[in-house]
Amino acid sequence: MKRPIVLLLAAVVLLPLLVRPVIATEIWIFAIFGLGLNLLLGYTGMLSFGQSTFFGSAAYVAGWLLKHYAINVFLALGIGVGVGAASAALVGYLCVQRSGLYFIMLTFALNQMFYFIAYQWTSVTGGEDGMPGIPRPALAGIDFSNPLVYYCFVAALFLGALWVMRRIVESPLGRILQAIRENPVRAEAVGYDVPRFKLLAFVIGGAFSGLAGVLYAMLFGIVPLEAIGFVFSGNVLFATLIGGSGSLYGPVIGSFVFIWLSESVSTLWARWPLLLGVAFVIVVLFLRGGVVEAWSRFWTWRSSKPKA
Amino acid sequence: MLYALMGLGLSLITGILNIPNFAHGALFAVGAYLLASAAVAIGNFWIALLVAPLGVALLGLAIEYAGIRRLYAAGHDYQLLFTFGLALILSEAIILIWGPVGYSYLPPQALRGGLDLGFTFYPKYRLFVMVMAGLLVLATWLFLEKTRYGAIMRAGIENKEMVSLLGIDIHKLFTVAFALGAYLAGIAGALTVPIRGVNPGMGVDMLGIAFVVVALGGLGNLLGAIAAGLLIGVAQALVAGYWTEASTVVIYAVMAAVLLVRPQGMFGIR
Repeated sequence: MKRPIVLLLAAVVLLPLLVRPVIATEIWIFAIFGLGLNLLLGYTGMLSFGQSTFFGSAAYVAGWLLKHYAINVFLALGIGVGVGAASAALVGYLCVQRSGLYFIMLTFALNQMFYFIAYQWTSVTGGEDGMPGIPRPALAGIDFSNPLVYYCFVAALFLGALWVMRRIVESPLGRILQAIRENPVRAEAVGYDVPRFKLLAFVIGGAFSGLAGVLYAMLFGIVPLEAIGFVFSGNVLFATLIGGSGSLYGPVIGSFVFIWLSESVSTLWARWPLLLGVAFVIVVLFLRGGVVEAWSRFWTWRSSKPKA
Repeated sequence: MLYALMGLGLSLITGILNIPNFAHGALFAVGAYLLASAAVAIGNFWIALLVAPLGVALLGLAIEYAGIRRLYAAGHDYQLLFTFGLALILSEAIILIWGPVGYSYLPPQALRGGLDLGFTFYPKYRLFVMVMAGLLVLATWLFLEKTRYGAIMRAGIENKEMVSLLGIDIHKLFTVAFALGAYLAGIAGALTVPIRGVNPGMGVDMLGIAFVVVALGGLGNLLGAIAAGLLIGVAQALVAGYWTEASTVVIYAVMAAVLLVRPQGMFGIR
């Protein structure tokens, strides 16, 4: 367990040297978002196709307050977490009553609903143009408009979020969620109120998504309409699966791969989603389990080979 | 009527294959683009209308055979990701091949202009689409209800294990079902071209609607999909008439409500 942490700290330090700080920041934001989804997908076994609902709602609300009422950064983050959790409670309450394809379609339907509300409510959200002009207010003399400073801030928050998530999945709560993933009927029979725990997972996941949403809005100074669209939900799903769902570090690795690839390819070729689609297909057909599993498979293969 | 076609195709796929097909909208768009370029290349709308959906069906065949076939045991997350990836590939390929700007295409000479129905004046082409889609829905329905293979397909929705135990090649059935679903999406796309033209975003818009129709009709409930398709079409036109902003939101709210209250669909009996 020590090695991943060392690697992670090294990554946090080295990343801004390798890529532009904006992209480095985006990677950790996306990782926070992925952590939230992974609690649902990887640990509880709920395939939510509507995570951008919470991400986008939090970004819009906090962005609006930042822009018009010049609230302080921590207040904005707190509100984002609250909005993410609240919207997730609402959506989750409805969704946990269904499972399988119905669950997926329900998350999708509610995601689309929020999307079209944001799309039509142009006076607040700016509709298709997004909500621009979100400031990054300074805090106690620290000037967040410097990209590197903001990077450190986000990276610190990410490490904090990762720590919290680790505590959650290793706690009795995390074990119960995994039990629900493995066998919901049995978990129910043992005496756990399954829908309530699923809802709890939703709310926690939503809180993480909300945090990521506000950080995202402050990073780019805008809430684009896409931030609440279902393609965005698909992206975070993909990032999580590419890294390997069900492992704590999976979504972190996944968002690293995802953001880095998409940002570097998108500058070269405007049609980069084509390659993204190809990557989806390849991962699904040949690399199920994601990078984490491929890595461990590689190690077992190496150690099983007799030393020459 | 077009919604009914889309919904029917998607319901077939979700019902029989138990797969959330997020590429359905992209297949619709491919059908539209194939028609537009085939009509220009051949110079005959009718031949193009015959060829384009077949092209989409072939594409569907290839997709099922090369990819989806290997994913039946994989769980919804990977199926979803796969079809989502396909949708990205197809829509980007459309932009690559035909360019990011949409264009319009006129209906064939015989169907231009309108028809005086006495009480209202209606464009001839739209009437044609309604008749055509009606015939297609009817044909699909007859195929599913009255033919032996259709009966097998319905049996496949009910109980896959039993069907394969009876010595029927379930994989072939899946392939045919996917191709048929793709064909319906393709022809729906082809038929819309003279009405709305083509643009790269058309698939995404249609995808959402198709899922709404499927949810309303009930997963795998084919008659339900037809009825829900008609209903959504009418409802959208009506709501859009006096409260345009809300029409899409309302549709998804209805979808969520139906999934919650009557997951078997509005017309489901189970």
